[in-house]
Amino acid sequence: MSVIADPVSGREGARDVAVWDPLVRLIHWSLALMILLNGAITDDESKLHEWVGYVALGLVGLRIVWAFIGPRHARFSAFRPSIARAVQYTRAVMRGDRTVHLSHNPLGALMVYNLWLAVIGLGVTGYMMTTLRFFGVGWLEEMHEGLFVWLIFSVALHVAGVAFDTWRSGVNLVRAMVVGRKRIPQGTDVE
Amino acid sequence: MKRAKRHVISKERRATVLAGIIILQGLCALFFIGDVITDLSEGEHLDDLHLALESIAAFALVGGVVFLMIELRRVLARMTDMDTGLKVAQGQIAEVMDGFFDAWRLTDAERDVAVMLLKGLDNDEIARVRQTASGTVRAQTANIYSKSDTHSRAEFISLFMEELMSGDFSRSVPDPFEGSGY
Repeated sequence: MSVIADPVSGREGARDVAVWDPLVRLIHWSLALMILLNGAITDDESKLHEWVGYVALGLVGLRIVWAFIGPRHARFSAFRPSIARAVQYTRAVMRGDRTVHLSHNPLGALMVYNLWLAVIGLGVTGYMMTTLRFFGVGWLEEMHEGLFVWLIFSVALHVAGVAFDTWRSGVNLVRAMVVGRKRIPQGTDVE
Repeated sequence: MKRAKRHVISKERRATVLAGIIILQGLCALFFIGDVITDLSEGEHLDDLHLALESIAAFALVGGVVFLMIELRRVLARMTDMDTGLKVAQGQIAEVMDGFFDAWRLTDAERDVAVMLLKGLDNDEIARVRQTASGTVRAQTANIYSKSDTHSRAEFISLFMEELMSGDFSRSVPDPFEGSGY
């Protein structure tokens, strides 16, 4: 019956599952771009740096609203922050478990919240630095820079995690964030 | 089926455009809210016409963003429904074909040829795909017609059309794609 089998419909081999809606994807890559812009390109003292920061803040804000009213896999309920589940998941991975998570896996979920908080922290401290009251205050600038270092460290960890999970589960996560669908190899458990 | 697929793709494009507008409008809303807050902190009052208009604009934009988000969710849900329907239909056709082929006791080679007949390939094309002589294909199609008690390609195809049009399309096909979609 090889003639009928359509690789996209997935009756044989891998099956494609739509997980990331366009809004999630656009926000993800826009935020990545904003972080890249402000981390590497814009001048820290410039107006542009401020605006890029506000856009990043706005993107996170939109994503949080979407996590309340968006579709299933984009909702908070699909990736509740839970240390216990993250620990459990890490153990399972070390045992060689290959379960595929349609939304974020429990460790990835923690990273999502961590990245959002870091961006919000950067936005808030960055805004405060522009106000008359906190202009030129030393600890605030140090906090802004500290948060940036933390963000870059987190992004590196995030990318490493994506690479590891892609290798472990055989689901190309970068492709999923570009086209929105996870291609799940046949015979893998899905959660 | 192709048309339905194209429909899904156009919906996908619509969803992407909607998402883009949501982001732009959301950022505009943020800009206006920021502006209103700055003005207020600088001692302006809401009864000032400029500030009042700005506040209304900010509220309208926020409302618009939420409305668009709900609309986007509806589009996504419809896409999922259509996608499932499409897959069920495809599964259904495959099932109908399998059922007939089993009943007629077609050999594996005849099954392949029959599928290609249904897909609209002519004998020469089938011979090329299967890398056999066209005489072999002619013999196989003759076998298929006699086993299915038909006399022409049109009659053969109409058997399947009839089955698909008479049958209740949603009859108890288990959805193998549970968890799929938004």
